[in-house]
Amino acid sequence: MRRRIPEMFLGIGFVGIMSTLFLGLNWAPSVSINAFESPAAQRIFYWHVPSAWAAFIAFGVLFTGSALWFFKRSPFGWRLHVAGTEAGLACGLMTVWSGCVWGAAEWGTPWDWTDVRLNTFGLLTLLALFLVLGRQSQPDGVETRDTFSTFGLYGFVLVPLTYVATRVWQIRHPGPVIGAGEDGGSLQSSMALVLFIGALSFTIFIIGHMMISMRITHLEQRLEHAQKILDGGN
Amino acid sequence: MPASLLSLVDLEVRRGMGRVLNGFNLEVASKDVVVLHGKNGAGKSTVIESCARLLPLEKGSVHHHGSLVVDSEGRRTLAKQPFGLTLQSNCILGDETVENHLTTVCSLSGMKTDLLPLLEAYGLAHRRHDRIGQLSGGQARKVAVLAGLLPAMLSSEPRLVLLDEPATGLDESALAALSSNIGQLRQAGHAFVIASHHPEMMKCATRLHNLESETRQEQPECQPWQAIGVKGKFTLLPTKTGHRYLRSTRAGLARNGLTALIVLGTLLAFIDPATLEKPLLVGFVLAAPFAAGLAGDPVVYLMREQRAGDWWRAHVNRLPAADFFAPILGFILSGLGSILFLDAFNWKLSLIGAAVLWVTLLCVRFIELSTLRLARPNAVFIRLLLPILILPWALVVEYAATL
Repeated sequence: MRRRIPEMFLGIGFVGIMSTLFLGLNWAPSVSINAFESPAAQRIFYWHVPSAWAAFIAFGVLFTGSALWFFKRSPFGWRLHVAGTEAGLACGLMTVWSGCVWGAAEWGTPWDWTDVRLNTFGLLTLLALFLVLGRQSQPDGVETRDTFSTFGLYGFVLVPLTYVATRVWQIRHPGPVIGAGEDGGSLQSSMALVLFIGALSFTIFIIGHMMISMRITHLEQRLEHAQKILDGGN
Repeated sequence: MPASLLSLVDLEVRRGMGRVLNGFNLEVASKDVVVLHGKNGAGKSTVIESCARLLPLEKGSVHHHGSLVVDSEGRRTLAKQPFGLTLQSNCILGDETVENHLTTVCSLSGMKTDLLPLLEAYGLAHRRHDRIGQLSGGQARKVAVLAGLLPAMLSSEPRLVLLDEPATGLDESALAALSSNIGQLRQAGHAFVIASHHPEMMKCATRLHNLESETRQEQPECQPWQAIGVKGKFTLLPTKTGHRYLRSTRAGLARNGLTALIVLGTLLAFIDPATLEKPLLVGFVLAAPFAAGLAGDPVVYLMREQRAGDWWRAHVNRLPAADFFAPILGFILSGLGSILFLDAFNWKLSLIGAAVLWVTLLCVRFIELSTLRLARPNAVFIRLLLPILILPWALVVEYAATL
């Protein structure tokens, strides 16, 4: 039963995400027509915000894994790093893509190179892509792990910067939705409920994804070790 | 007891996922010639590269002349005394001339000398002004070996020399000269660690080490080597070397200059400057130096040849860099851009362009150097990280448009 926990997380998360999509597109009330250029496009936020939330969790795992490998040489840390980069890339791309769709409808442009939030989040996603592609291009070894975990540690500087970006330099991107403090009470309760279901579903899904990714990396490591033994190495 | 020139204490080194050295200890004193002769993959080159502080250590430490040079805690300090190094690769740029390269090696030791007698001994005198790329494989190897021996040949103080497979590719006369030089230098108090299976090298050994055990062998007395170096004063060596590399290869113009000119040409092909507002035009002016910076440091690119970067990394803390190239090129490109887009030379924009190219190049250089340790540094997608520079560049353009 315990071996099936990651698959259960994936399944529950997937159902939750589909429910969020359904509720967001069909049940949640529309936003004020006066406040938005394109009120219908705003519904994509029920996808955008939870996927961004999940991406931050994945980047947090990436940082923890990088630190564990870099400072403790922990194989578990490296598995966390790998899982964090893959999940971060998946969620980052979902966030950036949905943000571009909304930006094109609301601002008339999918991207703004002068907006700090857009740029730092885009960079985090590019860092995850760099780490995934880079890891695939190199043989596994301490040199590879040291280098990429160093980039993971550098990259994490962008996470708090991304989080505070809309508070400090709000240019185009709207203000915070999750963890907004006292100013965040403008959401209707039904909207907040859908967002909550979305954030919870994405969190469960991403945890399941990372658990499976760690299991695959562990199996790859065992396979490589077995091949080394067959080769007669140490 | 003679002073220790090299000590490896409880060394543990991993390469790939394998532990190549584990609890390895070695003391090398003046007049020692240690020849490492284990089987392939036993860790001979790993020992040499660890001694040259090129590999991070999992455990243990390396000391030159009693001072720590690298340890497992991440401390990495420059060896107080110069040492000779020849790696398995020649570590020389193909565009360097024989004389220039060997003169640079002398400068790293703070010495100068007349190189002609040495070049004659190795049959290279007639090639002294030729580029390494024009030499045969064996001749290039002779230059690399000579570069490894030079710090000891120049100095009357005991020096450490690390040679990895020095005999590979050498002809008989060069091999005889090398064996004779090793004997004379040993007699003068210098010490060697040599990784080799070559019988001629093994004959030179005072200690034959197979990385598990060692046997000692006597060497006949011979005439000691007379030091040939004269003290010299050398400043800004990495900067001068970086600029020499760029002059001889024109890599800066080929990579960065042409990239920028293509950007300028492309913009001009599609845009009529008279119809655009100033902020946009300033962006176009500063786009050329920015693109040139994104193309990366040409010196780092050159030093990927034959592991030249590793050789430098062993000897200095700061790799060769063309420090003045970036601001000068940035100034010229922005000046040209301001004439093309704003109809007049604008010195303020030119200065900003110089700073843009310089800072961009430094950032790209930092990222490139961070990936040099990888098994396949050219296979990583460094350019994916460069959009981090777009936002600061856009802010600079916004500011420049207000001037």
